[in-house]
Amino acid sequence: MLAQILFSGIAIGSIYGLVALGFAVIFKATEVFNFAQGMLVVVGAYLAVTATTQLNLPFPLAIAFIIGVSAVLGVVIQVLLIRPLAGRPLLPVIMITIALAIVLRAVIEIIYGPQARALTTPLPTGSFLIAGVRISQLHLTAALVSWVCMAGFGAFFRYTSAGLLMRATADSHEAALVSGINVHRINAAAWAIGSVLAAVGGLFLGQLQMATVELESIGMLALPAVVIGGLQSIPGAIIGGLLVGIIEQLGSAYISPKARDILIYAPLLMVLLVRPWGLFGQRELGRV
Amino acid sequence: MHIRTVMPVTRNSRKFLKHLAAACVMGSVALSAQAFDSPSDGVRSDSIDWGVLMDLSGTAAGQQVPWVRGIQAYMRKVNEAGGVNGRKINLLIEDDRYDASRVRINFEKLANQTPVLGMSGFGSTSAQVALMPTIRRGKVPVVGTFAITRAGVEPATPMYYNGYCGFKQMAQVGTGFFVERLKLKAPKVVTVHMDVAGGKEYADYVATEVAKYGGTSTALPIAVGAADATSQVQAIIAMKPDFVTVYGVPTPTILLMRTMHQYGLTIPTFSITQLGTPNIYSALTPEIGGNLYSMSCLTPGDITDAGPGVKEMATLADKYGYGEYKSNVNYVGGWVVGQMVTESIARIGAEPTRAKLVESMDKGFEVDTKGVSSPIKFTRDDHRGMLSLRPYSYDYATKSYKAYGQYSDFEKYIK
Repeated sequence: MLAQILFSGIAIGSIYGLVALGFAVIFKATEVFNFAQGMLVVVGAYLAVTATTQLNLPFPLAIAFIIGVSAVLGVVIQVLLIRPLAGRPLLPVIMITIALAIVLRAVIEIIYGPQARALTTPLPTGSFLIAGVRISQLHLTAALVSWVCMAGFGAFFRYTSAGLLMRATADSHEAALVSGINVHRINAAAWAIGSVLAAVGGLFLGQLQMATVELESIGMLALPAVVIGGLQSIPGAIIGGLLVGIIEQLGSAYISPKARDILIYAPLLMVLLVRPWGLFGQRELGRV
Repeated sequence: MHIRTVMPVTRNSRKFLKHLAAACVMGSVALSAQAFDSPSDGVRSDSIDWGVLMDLSGTAAGQQVPWVRGIQAYMRKVNEAGGVNGRKINLLIEDDRYDASRVRINFEKLANQTPVLGMSGFGSTSAQVALMPTIRRGKVPVVGTFAITRAGVEPATPMYYNGYCGFKQMAQVGTGFFVERLKLKAPKVVTVHMDVAGGKEYADYVATEVAKYGGTSTALPIAVGAADATSQVQAIIAMKPDFVTVYGVPTPTILLMRTMHQYGLTIPTFSITQLGTPNIYSALTPEIGGNLYSMSCLTPGDITDAGPGVKEMATLADKYGYGEYKSNVNYVGGWVVGQMVTESIARIGAEPTRAKLVESMDKGFEVDTKGVSSPIKFTRDDHRGMLSLRPYSYDYATKSYKAYGQYSDFEKYIK
């Protein structure tokens, strides 16, 4: 049973890691703590409903639709809501993201109604046995896609000039500006990436259960993931996601479903108290 | 001449006076009904305010919105026919988002700030349990709840009348049905329940019922916002139950059924009434949904041979634009509560008040839904209402529900 629970935890944790990666990319580039990340997951699930059920698009086109629309949404959010607040204190920016989550929820409920929608995609739903462990094909697909996305974005940041510009901007906006980097464009790209990652997470979570606004609470598990891993650290966000997934599954299986909240948020509190920059983040040193 | 002239006039006058007197009597009756006004009880000269507390946008909205549409449809039918004793019923519907604290706020609002004659709904069992001391002490009757709680009906109070199938009866009929169908001697049963007051009560009812057959029952809680049901399914695999029963809202239920399927489990499963809805079956493949039964005291609108009430309900659902809900048991539940409420108000005459409503219902009453539900009967000591249930499953080929026998066939399991 332990192996089964661990596999399930890794699979779910991979989705959390994916969403957390989007959260970290946005924070790293723009220093915006995006409380709307959970709702962007919901947007992804409903975009999948639109593409597969309402527009009846073939699955590859549906994926392109989800990625395209969520990327545009990310850019629109950055241009209309975040960019005008550049240089303002942290609180108004946080309030904007909270308000954005509420608005997105209301818009979804108006468009799709309050009832959950079934999401039917050609993603595999069966299972197979390996060494006594039953592997759910959907879980495995979710984990593989998450890992491919994470590896892809990792390579993008490390090996491409655009990724390098993004990292440079994240390290110092002022230095990037002086160097002639179009910081606004970089920030918009970061929001687009963050939204796309959340939407892909939403696609899998919606397929695992249903497309519902309640997926927001699951998407928001990216928050403890990213804080535990380290807000500035992309590998930290991924590992934080995995930890949250595994802790959640072990807690549910061996203690109680309600214990998962304690088991997830207690380490969050500990990390914030003892190592506020997270397990994989870097401590910021300032010269006085 | 004078007489001849006067006599017809007198006759005419008498006739006129008779008509006038009759008109006066009729008018005074009508006027007294219209003039009676008790704003603190939600009663106005031409309308009665009635409160509904339900989840319209939270976790349980998928189940509770159809219920609200059902009661709205019934009230629309009544209002189109002139209302109750000349007054239209005006529903004040408050959204609690399945949040107990909002239920409390909305309850106080409808009890005191924008007063209503009575209330229905209360879809959150946790909130219902928490509010029962207040409801019992208060003056606003609750007529027709979406979910029943032990705190509401044990002991019976003149302030609370259930409007839905009882969890205890669901456990009794479901267990009895499967024990007989699968020819079990000492059944092993798993109850997967959402971790709320109603869920724990339901698990206890199942355990009690299974014990009567010499079997064992295990309760597995599942979180409302669970992303995965692997731990529950692993426990089910380890326990090897003869059948599974589910209490919850749609998303964890769908998650559980899908996860059971992923792990190769084909265990017969029955759910509480609230989960036997088309949207749950449509979210599952026929292979998975074919294993899911529900125990219900309500007749879906696509079982039209059940009685004239079902046909009327289905026809009006189409007419009012609620056609998508007519085979949804929760829509049916709302419709039935609409009938309970209007008949209760009609019985107290032209000057309805909260006190009169409470006094009238306390004598006991019955509602004939003409096949829309099992018989509804309230006595002074028993406010559970619909006690007979029967199993239903979903036929994917015809996209309609299948009822197993008559409600009376399963009364043997209700003790």
